[in-house]
Amino acid sequence: MAQVLDRPPVRPVVEAPTAGRRTGGRLTLPTLLALTAIVTIVPFAAMVLVAFAPPSGRTFPDALNPANFTLENFSKVLSSSDIPRWTVNSLLYSLVSVACVLLFASMAGYAFAKKKFPGREIMFWAFLATLMVPFQATLIPSYILVAKLDWVDSYWGLIVPTLANSQAVFLMRQFIMQLPDELFEAAEIDGAPEWRIFTMIVLPLVRPVLATLGIFVFLWHWNDFLWPLVIGQSGKMQTLTVGLATLQGQAVPINQLMAGATITVVPSLLVFGLLQRYLTDSIAMSGLKA
Amino acid sequence: MGLLFVAPMLVLFLLFRFLPAIGAFFLSLTDYRISGKWDFIALDNYTRLLSDKVFHEALLVTITYTVIFVPLTVLLSLGTAVLLHQVVWKRGFFRGVFFLPYVTSIVLAAVIWKWIYDAQDGLLNAVLGLVSIGPIDFLSQSGTVLPSIAVTSAWKGFGYSMLILLAGLQAVPKSYLEAAMIDGASTWQRFRYVTLPQLRPVLFFVLVIETIGAFQVFDAMYVMTGGGPVRSSYSLVYFLYDSGFKYFDFGYASAIGLVLFLIVLIVSLVQRRLVGRDD
Repeated sequence: MAQVLDRPPVRPVVEAPTAGRRTGGRLTLPTLLALTAIVTIVPFAAMVLVAFAPPSGRTFPDALNPANFTLENFSKVLSSSDIPRWTVNSLLYSLVSVACVLLFASMAGYAFAKKKFPGREIMFWAFLATLMVPFQATLIPSYILVAKLDWVDSYWGLIVPTLANSQAVFLMRQFIMQLPDELFEAAEIDGAPEWRIFTMIVLPLVRPVLATLGIFVFLWHWNDFLWPLVIGQSGKMQTLTVGLATLQGQAVPINQLMAGATITVVPSLLVFGLLQRYLTDSIAMSGLKA
Repeated sequence: MGLLFVAPMLVLFLLFRFLPAIGAFFLSLTDYRISGKWDFIALDNYTRLLSDKVFHEALLVTITYTVIFVPLTVLLSLGTAVLLHQVVWKRGFFRGVFFLPYVTSIVLAAVIWKWIYDAQDGLLNAVLGLVSIGPIDFLSQSGTVLPSIAVTSAWKGFGYSMLILLAGLQAVPKSYLEAAMIDGASTWQRFRYVTLPQLRPVLFFVLVIETIGAFQVFDAMYVMTGGGPVRSSYSLVYFLYDSGFKYFDFGYASAIGLVLFLIVLIVSLVQRRLVGRDD
């Protein structure tokens, strides 16, 4: 999968001039690239600087002096808000969803790819068709349904409805279709029970896709806003992302707000730092959208 | 046996995708209130929408936002993709930097940028102050609020389209470009007449994805402006959210959802038409 992006650059490899080395005043492409990168990174840098800056005085340009850095904003925002509880909610929402979506989507993907059963085609296309319906269009009926189940303001209501993930099913099916039939047929002839074929043959083979899909499902849920906003109505049931918006609305001092923002972004940054390759390659290959 | 493997996902889909999709249609024909009481009112919600000034404004805001956001984000992603494609120097590093905002939430982006735009304390006005401009209250003026939000969303999201376009650029056959070079085409001519036509399907995909996304804008507005000033950043989804969860007018909110669905559907169908003609 990775070859397309990893193949040698199209252009002949000439040692490109390092940014700033040219003094002619002509804006070279590497310089332009570096400038764009700086502009992209500035908001993050500013967030972190303000989070560590002392809370007194104007926030800019005082924030730039590293001699004054303090953890005060973090301790204040942690003690004055529900951030610890929100973090637990976000972790539960994301990790439970990842586990369930990976399991159910690979089961469904395997069946759609390799099993024959009545209604298979029409069912698969019906799954795909739901991709066309924007989530917001079904927000109200989904909410009413969850209310009827008495799941509002609960983990059930938060997690279960978001497990119906057609992109995940589609991706798993496409991948499993490429696996040779003989692998499964041999096991079937040997009389292996279906569930063992799935756990012993299918799951190990789909590990690379599971990794990629897992990252995406994690990010979808960690960054999700509208559904947790609607379902987690009490402060205790909010996720970190919703909680951050709540903090913003409460006129929390800017340093504490940025400290809170920095906390919410840590897991995404960890995922990004460790697994960037998986993410970028799979987007380029499949158009998967987080 | 296959059915057993599909069963868990199937149940989830039937309950939480198909049922709400059908439900949305039927709800939009009722005056369903929070008490659970409802009457069938046929198309009343839709006729009410047609004459609702707030709906007209929200639709206009959404379209204006889309018209600003889509070209902005497509140019930004195309520009960075071309830069990354041309410059070999530290390509992986720069690709990572441009992609970084994409893994964060739009809420985080909105919180950071709300501060950046702040008239008193904000980073942007501090920079503008150095060249004696401003301060400008970006989020409190109807003229600047939508472009400001569009910049925030573009910053957050351009990394995705950039990766798609970069893959597209790398798939352009080298021989075409070499042939053009031998024929004496300049860099710009090669880009305009060789690369761009080859890139068209990918560019179109990006355009459609971003347009559909733009029509669903909500999070950034909820966090940055609350829809203001005076509803000048009050989008369709915001209107849907308020109708449902502020006024508990579930039937009406469902009708707004159906309008949104129709818009997305039309955009997708137009894409299929145009790309289909391409092949």
